[in-house]
Amino acid sequence: MTENVLELKGITKIFPGVKALDHVQFELRRGEVHALMGENGAGKSTFIKVITGVNHAEEGEMYLNGRKVNFRGPMDAQAAGIAAVYQHPTSYPDLTVTENIFMNHEIKKHGLLQWKAMNAEAQKYLDPLDADFRPTAEMGTLSVAQQQMVEIAKAISMNAKIMILDEPTAALTANESERLYRIIEKLKAEGVSIIFISHRFEDMYRIADRVTVFRDSQYIGTYQTNEISNDEMIKKMVGREIKDLFPKPETKIGGEVLRVECLSRTGYFTNVSFCVRAGEIVSFTGLVGAGRTETMEAVCGITHADSGKVLLNGRELRIKCPSDAMKAGIILLPEDRQRNGLILDWGIGHNVTLPILRKLSSRGIVDVSREREISRKYLEDVDTKAVSIFEPASSLSGGNQQKVVVAKALAQDNMKVIIMDEPTKGVDVGAKSEIYQIMGNLAGAGYAIVMISSEMPEILAMSDRIYTMCGGRVTGELNHEDATQEKILGLSMSKDGPQSDISKKEAVTGE
Amino acid sequence: MAGRSGRTISTDRKRYTKGFFSSWEFVLVILFVAINIFCKIISQNYTAANVLREMPKYLSEMFLLFPMAYILLLGDIDISVGATVCLSATVSCFASNAGFPIGAVVLIGLLTGLACGMLNGLILTVFTELPAMIVTLSTMIIYRGIAEIILGSGGSVSLNDVSGFSALAGMVGLFPYLFFLVLILGVVFTIVSAKTPFGRSLYAIGSNRSAAFYSGIKVQRVRFIVFSITGAMAGLCAVFLTSTLFGANTTTGNGFEMDAIAMAVFGGISAVGGKGRLAGGIISAFIIICLRIGLGEINMNPQVILIILGILLISAVLAPNISTKIKEKKQVLARK
Amino acid sequence: MNEQTPEKKKSLWNCITASREVSLLLVLIVLCALIGIRSPEFLTISNIGEILKNNAVIMIMALGMLCVLLTGGIDISITSTLAFAGMTVGMLFKYKLIQSTGLGFLIAAAIGAMCGAIIGAAIAYGGVASIIAAMGGMYIFRGLAYLVANSQWAGADALGSFTNFALSSNLGFGVINNVIVITILCYVIFFIVLKWTKFGRSIYAIGSNRTAAAISGIHVARVEFLVYVIMGLLAGFCGALSVTIYSSAQPNMVLGKEMDVIAACVIGGVSMSGGSGTVGGALLGALILSVIAKALPLVGIDAIAQNTVKGVIILAVVILNVVTKRMMDRSNLERRKL
Repeated sequence: MTENVLELKGITKIFPGVKALDHVQFELRRGEVHALMGENGAGKSTFIKVITGVNHAEEGEMYLNGRKVNFRGPMDAQAAGIAAVYQHPTSYPDLTVTENIFMNHEIKKHGLLQWKAMNAEAQKYLDPLDADFRPTAEMGTLSVAQQQMVEIAKAISMNAKIMILDEPTAALTANESERLYRIIEKLKAEGVSIIFISHRFEDMYRIADRVTVFRDSQYIGTYQTNEISNDEMIKKMVGREIKDLFPKPETKIGGEVLRVECLSRTGYFTNVSFCVRAGEIVSFTGLVGAGRTETMEAVCGITHADSGKVLLNGRELRIKCPSDAMKAGIILLPEDRQRNGLILDWGIGHNVTLPILRKLSSRGIVDVSREREISRKYLEDVDTKAVSIFEPASSLSGGNQQKVVVAKALAQDNMKVIIMDEPTKGVDVGAKSEIYQIMGNLAGAGYAIVMISSEMPEILAMSDRIYTMCGGRVTGELNHEDATQEKILGLSMSKDGPQSDISKKEAVTGE
Repeated sequence: MAGRSGRTISTDRKRYTKGFFSSWEFVLVILFVAINIFCKIISQNYTAANVLREMPKYLSEMFLLFPMAYILLLGDIDISVGATVCLSATVSCFASNAGFPIGAVVLIGLLTGLACGMLNGLILTVFTELPAMIVTLSTMIIYRGIAEIILGSGGSVSLNDVSGFSALAGMVGLFPYLFFLVLILGVVFTIVSAKTPFGRSLYAIGSNRSAAFYSGIKVQRVRFIVFSITGAMAGLCAVFLTSTLFGANTTTGNGFEMDAIAMAVFGGISAVGGKGRLAGGIISAFIIICLRIGLGEINMNPQVILIILGILLISAVLAPNISTKIKEKKQVLARK
Repeated sequence: MNEQTPEKKKSLWNCITASREVSLLLVLIVLCALIGIRSPEFLTISNIGEILKNNAVIMIMALGMLCVLLTGGIDISITSTLAFAGMTVGMLFKYKLIQSTGLGFLIAAAIGAMCGAIIGAAIAYGGVASIIAAMGGMYIFRGLAYLVANSQWAGADALGSFTNFALSSNLGFGVINNVIVITILCYVIFFIVLKWTKFGRSIYAIGSNRTAAAISGIHVARVEFLVYVIMGLLAGFCGALSVTIYSSAQPNMVLGKEMDVIAACVIGGVSMSGGSGTVGGALLGALILSVIAKALPLVGIDAIAQNTVKGVIILAVVILNVVTKRMMDRSNLERRKL
């Protein structure tokens, strides 16, 4: 018997200037694992926020067990048995596991909290999850996987009948993911319905019964997972043939520009060696926590490596801080643009010129008209969709913010190596190909490009060479022609495999 | 670079900046005029000559306003400046009494302040995890403590020979030297914050410290420099304070840090960093000084001035917050 | 990947930081023992009672400051509130407007709560940074204290029977001084509220993760507002308390002591960024601070150097915290298998 525990119809959510959801629909059966797929910016997270009562839809109806409901806030959704587990657990790091589980539905007697009872109860929720920590442990000391387990235990403790898991595997290792799958199956057997959001196709095929696809804020369709192929899925998500998405021009690859030898930082990465040539796009891929970002941050002086060498055009560099790297010609375009890349309150023009103010000043005073001219030139070069250089960076879309960050790098005319960390994260489908085009053009202009990415299609399409990392080591190097999804995945998950000798040899000699 | 759609981006500033008449500075200018009219009405003695005669007492506090504005722009805070003033004043008094010439005494006072500021800067940049509040809180206790030790059981020192310091308190016509020094420093600090790369980096760090760091700004170096300057300015303040008080005691400079912060915040400089202009701080300083002088002329209890200052401070932050809240409410209602 | 088993995590550093109260207690005991050896009169009951009584105001206000710091805020207006409330009560006694001791405390606490409510409203509902609101409050309430005093002060003779409260021990069954009884009572109440009530835990939740707290349905603004009201209430109450302890009410009383209160909390391990800190920590921090103050002259350090030593200790403690944390992180990183 199929029965919809949750049904949403014609949901429309409008944020100032953007239609985040456009008449989307969704249904969830009892005891079903339902995957929700779509590119970044497709509206998945907004949709989840509508279900959990964080956002209020302008239009549309929601039915819970056939009854129409109208959530005014997250509390209403919780009371109705809907719980969400987010990718970055929304926990209290200073409090214990028990407190995190029972936050706002504590066990009380005469107005006093019953810690003993709560600890015992928490243990009861954690046991079936095979938790390897105590309920009295401080949340902040747990790993991300363990914190996620606490969040799931919290959902169970609230007697949730509908559980939403938002990218739960993004930060997990293969083993941890497998454990999560088993927990999900157990919950499913107990009649809990699960909405599962993930970027990984393997998650979807492994765990979900059905999948609903969103694209550009719209509902595309719902399919049985055993009836839809990977390629079809991608087409549904992206909305067109992949070919147009990755405009990569042929470029002439020149001599080696950046060479990194045996770079190590305790606890983050070890013995990382690689090289990048002029006009080349080199990708670094691997799971979250593989040490890709940390490696690049050390190359650029954001953090310090404990040992190893960084050579630019054969000359060893001494990089103590980001400005040293920039002076030498290496720049990192960070993944979290809002936090590390841009000053959101500032106009985009000021953002672009921030690193080059000294060059723009005469006798110590910034030449404002020259500054405006330069920022305009570079912003136009990357085709930023903005009206004025004084438009605050916060008002731009993710794709255009990325363009501002690129313009900021280009404005420093001495750049040789541009390292882009997840350049299309949070960028809509349409703008993505523009970013790729910019990347291709940069490579064509002779820049050496390093791209850190977790998105398989862009890695396969854009890179001349691919390095895979796992557990802080380089586990493989592939040429464009040899790279397949399977090989890359295999190398980035080869947890016990990699054979540091081989990888070192490969990385150093591999051309 | 290819891929251009030929779209152009405007470099015209007009649409994105508020005109002077809708800025906080304009409100402050009006307030300044209003306060002066008010003081003139309540007191016959509120004349230019009297105001200028009274001014040196308060002007030296402005030396603290300038660097404090920088520190607030950085998103930091320094509550040890009052104690630094106390220590510098004490040391300069003892140096003067030990027979050093006035030039050396001034230098000693400045260096004492600089050392205090550098220590703050050093601790904060080595242990970047520490909030400036707690570090400067403890150095505040330490600096005043050292001054107490130097002052000994009497708790105060007076100058044996006031001639050197009197020279500092000299006048050009109606205007004290101090006035010109404040003016010059005010212009320098304002220009540096508004027009130079260093000034821009202050705003960048205060708005988003991490993004500033990624953009190649030496965040910790800037912080160290600003805290050091603050110390040196506190030293300067101490020297001029001594030239009007002819001595120092354990309560010298008490509450100066609060006054400096109040002036800056009332002038529209955000206490959480990245926003505001020094010009606003300077106007607000003169508003407060005029108010103090005016109410002093009618022998108003100085404590009333404290109360007015407190109310001004809170409402200067509260008023814009409330007005944006009301605006947001209106927008929500309009959409419905 | 960087999986960590719980066994591995139980490092020495973790043990030390996990039981901060224990290490503070050790410090306190060693401190007392050392001083006791040098000057035996230090450890007499009457001397200890005297120390507790003289520091009761700081100790009680440390409780309120603990709550404020837990939410991630700070309140430096407390001593002004104390002076305003204390001065008002002093004047009421002086002009024989009230005679009852209980009423005196009640009025002082009410005035304090009102002051706290003003600051709290500006912070919680008006979005004013806590340091700015508190600074404004500091000016206003100190000014009000002077206005109330009107260039006068209330001495022992003016206060009359009110001063008896701090001298007698009727609340402590004739054994323990009233002031100490009140202090203990405050600590017991706060211990229970912060550990065993929902309100207490919401304070921790807000400081630990404000957005998460709002999502899980905690009324963040209301709790924050109440925290400042409580702080004000305690400060006002302490106003009356210090009037009876020192038998005088002056508008400049306990000037600058707010720093001692904050220092007590910081030494006690309360985080300045909110979310962590305990009643026990605040108590031990306040005790260590007061013992040191009392001990300095005994070990030959001039009383005049007291403040310097105090400042150095606070600085040393916060720096030690950072260094410990760094070493802990470092050793955690080194244990990661790559």
